Amino acid sequence: MSDHVPPDVDFGRVWSGVAGRVWSPPTSAVERAMARLLGSSAFARVIVTTPSLVVSWLLASVVVLVVGIVVTAQTGEPWIAVLAPVLAGIGIAFAYGPGVDPAWELSRSMATSERAVLLSRVVAVFAVNALLGLLASIIVGDALTLTLQWLVPMAMLSALGLAAASASGSAPVGAAAVVLGWALIVLGGSVSLGGMAAVQDARLMPFYSALAVLLACVALALPNRKATGW
Amino acid sequence: MVTNTTPSVAARGLTQRIGRTTILNGIDLQISGGVVGLLGPNGAGKTTLLRTLATVLSPASGELQLLGHDPRRSSERTAIRRRLGYLPQHLGYYPGFTVFEFVEYFALLKEMPADEVRPAVARAIERVGLADRAKSKLKTLSGGMLRRVGIAQAIVNDPDLLLLDEPTAGLDPEQRVLFRALLRDAGQHATVIISTHLIEDVAAACTAMALLDGGRIVFRGTPDELSQLGDGGIGDSALERGYTRVLTGARG
Repeated sequence: MSDHVPPDVDFGRVWSGVAGRVWSPPTSAVERAMARLLGSSAFARVIVTTPSLVVSWLLASVVVLVVGIVVTAQTGEPWIAVLAPVLAGIGIAFAYGPGVDPAWELSRSMATSERAVLLSRVVAVFAVNALLGLLASIIVGDALTLTLQWLVPMAMLSALGLAAASASGSAPVGAAAVVLGWALIVLGGSVSLGGMAAVQDARLMPFYSALAVLLACVALALPNRKATGW
Repeated sequence: MVTNTTPSVAARGLTQRIGRTTILNGIDLQISGGVVGLLGPNGAGKTTLLRTLATVLSPASGELQLLGHDPRRSSERTAIRRRLGYLPQHLGYYPGFTVFEFVEYFALLKEMPADEVRPAVARAIERVGLADRAKSKLKTLSGGMLRRVGIAQAIVNDPDLLLLDEPTAGLDPEQRVLFRALLRDAGQHATVIISTHLIEDVAAACTAMALLDGGRIVFRGTPDELSQLGDGGIGDSALERGYTRVLTGARG
């Protein structure tokens, strides 16, 4: 066999192509599915690096919902509908930002916009929490009623978590706003209307919807200006 | 590719504030290529200047053009960022990622063409001497190796403007020598700006330098020119004496 190398063969290019394949670890099934769904490997990885979607966080969410299922089954009160929105709100507050995402500083100098990163993670966290809430509602056995009770408050608290975290530049502040805000609404509803009116009184849903839209608009207007000034 | 007609960095009256504290105070800077060192004591404003040039922060006031674009405009900022490489002072990382995954992640966020990403990542990892650790998890690496991973992500897109904040922190002497060679090579076809405390890095690798103090540029020139100002200064080398002399003079 001849060892002659044609002049148009670039071994450097060949080597980097081979090394790129050999060194690249296999992509997880979740990331592959996300890449196909979104049509973007970049956003698939943005989502799988979401701090509030790591396995330990998801396990903690499942534990909280299991407690909710047990208490709901024992008391007949819709505790699933009270807990599920809070989990989503806190998860969204911790989806992106300083002190939360280790590579946040670096991400801010990237061509892929910070807002697009934030939005993709917000949608992913909301979707995962909505799925967990739906599963919990199915297990309790009154899926439609329960889901209608938590879905709109979940949207409102998600927008609150996003707006508060963006405005303050702090995930813990965003999470605190979610917990405190929801506690005030639930307790206020209980005192003024009785029981678990916060999730059971259909008259409150338009209020939650309007608040969700308002807070989402505030959050969308905030992130870049607050964090970078651009 | 950077051309001589368009400065990579053109700043005029650049000011940066955090709260009421002025961090950068009217910086005028024009850089058109080569390797430029930013020297200065702690708190001089080096990191803030690099973060501003990396489009992480917007200026409080003043004019700024990067690679011929105005970063205040969103579309132009994106165009700048595609041609930018940035190593922050504190590199955050995902401990569960491998070296390859981490560099690949930022290649993707830099919006490199999909078919170019993996070969480019392999080249960047090879250039920083981490080929044998490409499949290692980041949490298993030493501080110096992590610094090199940070450099790899910064150079993965062959940037026209490369900004490195304390790039040699944690590198051993052999790695620093290799890194200076990488800097000189990068400076052949891009503008490289490094912030450092290590005067010997500037002497060995930089074609030009700026000395910052109190948010102002108090000296601009070449390392040789700074060395020539060293009479009466304190230090073990001519460059150190020039450095201390200029700082003393700037502070009155």
